[in-house]
Amino acid sequence: MSTLSKADKLINKSIKRKRVGGRLTFKRFCEYFFTYLALMIIAAIFAFPVLWLVLASFSESGSMYTFKGFFPSSYSVVTFVKLFTDTQMYDYPRWFGNTLIIAVCSALLGGLLVILTAYVMSRFRFPARKGIMKITMVLGMFPSFMAMTAVYLLMTQFELINKLWGLVLIYASGAPMGYLTQKGFFDTIPNSMYEAARIDGASNFKVFIRITLPIAMPMIVYTLITSFTWPWSDFILPKLLLKNKDMYTVAVGLMSLGDTEFARFAAGSVFIAVPIIILYFCLVKYMVNGLTAGAVKE
Amino acid sequence: MNKFFKALCIAVSGVATCSLTACNGGGRREKYEQQSLEALYGKFDGDIERGTESRPITLHILENDTAKQSGYLKLLLDGFNEKYKEYNIVAVDANQDQFSDLAEDGKYGYGPDVLYQANDVLMKYCSGKHITPLPVEKLDAYSELPELARSTYTYKYRGAEYLMGVGVNVQAPMVYYRKDLLPENWEEEWDENKNGVPDMQEDMRAMWRFGKARNAADKDKYGFMQSLFDPYFSCGYLFTYGAYVFGNDNTDTTDIGFDAGDSKLGAGVILQLAESMNMGCVDDSITLARESEFASGAYFAVNNTQDMYGTMIDELANVYSKQGMTSSDARKAAVENIVAAPMPALPASGDLSEREGELLDSIVMGGINGYAISSYTKYPKASLAFLNYATSFEMVVKRNEYLGISPARSDCNKAAVVQADVAHSLYDMVETGRISIMPTVSGADSIWKPLQTAFTDIATDPYREGGKKFTAADGACDLDALDVLLKTINKNIYNTIHTFGDGNN
Amino acid sequence: MTDCEIYHGKPPLFKRIGGWFKNIPTRVKTFFVALGGKFKRIPLGFFARAKYIKTAPRPVKASMGLMGVGQLMQKQIVKGILFLLMFAAYVVYMALEGGGAMYDFFALGLVPPNPWLNIEGDNSVVMMLLGILAFIITGFFIAVHMANIRDAQRTFDYVKRGNPVPGFKHSLASMFDKYFYVTALVFPVVGVFVFNILPIIFMIFLAFTDYSGNIVLNGSLVSWIGFSNFKQLFSTGLIGATFLKILGWNLLWAVMSTLLNYFGGLAIALLLNKKIVKGKRIWRAFPVLAFAVPGFITLLAFKFMFSNLGPINYYIDLLGGKTRMFFGIDSKWSARIIGWLVNAWLSIPSSMLLATGILANLNADLYEAARIDGASPWTQFVKITLPFVVFATTPVLIGQFMGNFNNFGVFYFLRGGIICDGYYLASDTDLLINWLYSLSIDNKHYSLGAAISIIIFVIAAAISLFVYVKSPSYAKEDMYR
Repeated sequence: MSTLSKADKLINKSIKRKRVGGRLTFKRFCEYFFTYLALMIIAAIFAFPVLWLVLASFSESGSMYTFKGFFPSSYSVVTFVKLFTDTQMYDYPRWFGNTLIIAVCSALLGGLLVILTAYVMSRFRFPARKGIMKITMVLGMFPSFMAMTAVYLLMTQFELINKLWGLVLIYASGAPMGYLTQKGFFDTIPNSMYEAARIDGASNFKVFIRITLPIAMPMIVYTLITSFTWPWSDFILPKLLLKNKDMYTVAVGLMSLGDTEFARFAAGSVFIAVPIIILYFCLVKYMVNGLTAGAVKE
Repeated sequence: MNKFFKALCIAVSGVATCSLTACNGGGRREKYEQQSLEALYGKFDGDIERGTESRPITLHILENDTAKQSGYLKLLLDGFNEKYKEYNIVAVDANQDQFSDLAEDGKYGYGPDVLYQANDVLMKYCSGKHITPLPVEKLDAYSELPELARSTYTYKYRGAEYLMGVGVNVQAPMVYYRKDLLPENWEEEWDENKNGVPDMQEDMRAMWRFGKARNAADKDKYGFMQSLFDPYFSCGYLFTYGAYVFGNDNTDTTDIGFDAGDSKLGAGVILQLAESMNMGCVDDSITLARESEFASGAYFAVNNTQDMYGTMIDELANVYSKQGMTSSDARKAAVENIVAAPMPALPASGDLSEREGELLDSIVMGGINGYAISSYTKYPKASLAFLNYATSFEMVVKRNEYLGISPARSDCNKAAVVQADVAHSLYDMVETGRISIMPTVSGADSIWKPLQTAFTDIATDPYREGGKKFTAADGACDLDALDVLLKTINKNIYNTIHTFGDGNN
Repeated sequence: MTDCEIYHGKPPLFKRIGGWFKNIPTRVKTFFVALGGKFKRIPLGFFARAKYIKTAPRPVKASMGLMGVGQLMQKQIVKGILFLLMFAAYVVYMALEGGGAMYDFFALGLVPPNPWLNIEGDNSVVMMLLGILAFIITGFFIAVHMANIRDAQRTFDYVKRGNPVPGFKHSLASMFDKYFYVTALVFPVVGVFVFNILPIIFMIFLAFTDYSGNIVLNGSLVSWIGFSNFKQLFSTGLIGATFLKILGWNLLWAVMSTLLNYFGGLAIALLLNKKIVKGKRIWRAFPVLAFAVPGFITLLAFKFMFSNLGPINYYIDLLGGKTRMFFGIDSKWSARIIGWLVNAWLSIPSSMLLATGILANLNADLYEAARIDGASPWTQFVKITLPFVVFATTPVLIGQFMGNFNNFGVFYFLRGGIICDGYYLASDTDLLINWLYSLSIDNKHYSLGAAISIIIFVIAAAISLFVYVKSPSYAKEDMYR
């Protein structure tokens, strides 16, 4: 996106703005009505199950079947108190901490690797390049849990069972497989920008640090968020590799709850969503920009 | 030169194929096959291992969640640690999932040293030798164990028998009902044999009738409720009429007997029960609602295992105290009002609607949970000491007190304080063969999914709009169709176990 | 096509289809001819290499013989020593571990474990894994060796042209400049090799062993058995039939859910993109809300909602309707449809975000022009929006298709534990991946599962690689630079 097209857009916008104002006809009313109706329906559809989980977490009874329809028969905040204080069996705060460590570390490490891979694949032309691109495309299609046995064996050999670092290692090294979106973004940065720096005598490494990283900021944010959400909500890998209950992540811990602990399950689920929601709301602008740039070659 | 290249290709691929197919360690493997088992018990000989002050011996103990929740585990560990303080042995909670798999973790060193699990889970480890045979003469509890507990934990290997675990408690589904929900005049109307026990407790026909009557009076209230799709709880209906899992004492997986005897009558009982319940019996809705709906009075009776007794009391006490009782009164009333009994007898004809006729004592699928020692433990003698401590008279009685379980040890069973009637009647059932132990041969895991499918199919039938599969036009059970279904179970289980190689070698 | 009639524009559809089929033999032929050509070229390359070995300058020959010597001979001391050290490390590894691991890979162990007697024994699967690792390390070593030869040759040429010998500092600098791509890719490639490719290779080899049933449970020794698993797969009627039935449903599922998610997301994005909508960020937040809760939690919540005594049935009952079993044993289609909807609920938020981004980049002038030409909103959508969006997102679309094809969670959580008539250990809503799970994890038929996953993998990879290579985003990736 050059500055020129941005200017174009600004002009377009001002033209549009002039055109929009008009009289309220019946047709326009209908358009308003149906658009907002549709929006409300969509909002309801998406919000409802989440709201229901929130509602369920305030239920007093542990069982779901005491609910009258969607609504618990009696409410209390006791579950939330229990979630954080009754840690003898289910140490939620600890699980939360573990998950946070795993997710943050894998996001940082994995994000760095993805950005590096994508940048290199986009910027350089070398013999193995097309081969690597095809291989990564194809590898993503292997039913991943079939490889779990091997991952488990590997981790026993490296003695990384029951260690948070083991998971970080796996998530981070798996991350570069999803470099395509990021590569698409780097494809949109015109070569001329690099060339200018190269003429000034900067090495490729310096170009990456000084020029690429600053431009790629939205993409980096997007990458960090996506590499954060995967470990954050993954269930299968931690279940396989973390044996000790003190090492559990929230997902594994929630799945280990007893049948009669539904309210606790719901409360735990609500809390696990909070960091992601906060992240999204702070960074949704970057997200959209990052995705746009990644997918569209403009 | 092209020829040379071709020859090279063929040679390389030939060598690769040969080495891949034939190498396999070849015949050289055989000489390692026959390892002498004479030294097997040697690891238990001699003095117990001693740790040092700075580096004590740590035993990792896997217990189940309810033991942890109720505080029993803490009691057990503290007691043991106190007793073996001078040896510097410390037993700690393994802190793993109660269903964790020793076969997966053990050989890499992540498994517990001593583990408490259900007998089918423990005995599954035998063929891989993941748990170690126990020296019978060094087990304090052995003489008190009933025959069933011994045979359940006996593993036959190359003509010899090994004891692999020590049973602690017998567990089987029992029926639990609320005394305070009996009609006022039950002694006249619902006690035909005038023995002071409500008919519902003794006779499934009465239970069924009572349920229908209760439901007719208020459509939100039911009699006996159960998630009928659950194979563990529903198997018993088939066993009562002569079905069995595997032939030759549950060891021959080529002989599957879910259609044996009059088993189809049992399937018919499930169908009639399903009709008296609601759609929740087809999935796990009732199981999940069981304790709370029982407490709220919507369900008059449920079947449940002993480990859930505490939860049932808690829930009911909670309801009572909401109605204005003090919490200690509520608890007392809850204990008073929840009655446990063996599953009611079933009609020999398989027809729940008849009033007269012969009754069959019901048989249920049960298990004996117990302790075993991992083969991978570094401290076999200390582990054995822990096992002996945990299965001692005092500890098993305490276990009953904390958890309401029914002790397998005969002396403890007599001394049981919580759910004592249950403990005694379960013991009787063990002695009289009314508990069919979950099979433990390899391949036994494969029975659950086919069974669950079939029970789901049966329980769905009353709720089918049209095209009922197992109900004849006049509303009676279509026994032939049920028989076909039972044969399908057998076939599915057989296919699962035997389609690929022999699952029983 | 020689007998082609003359058309204005494209030939009619049936002709094109006919032509496509007519061309198959030709295309197959071309493919094999091309393949044959490649094989023919191998000996040529072989000879060229042999000649090169003979004629290479001395330092290069030395480097061929022993890594790093060529560099030392050309006075690149540090580099030479580093190469030598690498060589030494490889030799030590092979002597201590690698060689044995390679042997064990073929033998898969001799001593069966016997934990009763504290005999640790041989762990066949670990041996296989470490064997593969040893081969991969050897592969890396060969690559380094090649690089070492190339490097010697390059230095030789460089000096021959009259330049001074480049020092170690220079080499180090080039690692961050000319060869920055190598430096940057080392960690990702190693990581992907160890944690992604190695397990996949392991699974592929597993398909040729008898690692199944009791061998898994008992940890006994595994043997190579060649193609028996594949034979069994095709000789046992029920399994073949199950495979085909599930494959058909799986394709239907993947196509439908990809379309549903994609166009659902697009539709919401278009709606939000309308000028009359105020507070876009707030409206957009609702789907994002759904995104934030981990998938398995929402799936469990949905399962409960639709369960037999769940809230949905409660309200149906309250309104006097007939309650129904949404995931019952007879409810093939209601379960499938709910599966689609639930999956849409889970996936639409992300495709909405994606579509929003793309629409923001769409040139508004095109619409102006279209409006002036009197095009209806629908025509604008079909002629402008759709082609642009689809063009821009082909790789993402392929990714989504594959994600849906291998969507494990939906039916595992919604409707598990049922076996249907005519299926082997699967229900009529199970996808291939669910079936694989049931076979390999639940019933320990790992080797069979591996064989099936190879077949699935080949099918899926062929489809998507074809689409990907043909897509403009692969073929013309520099188009917009």
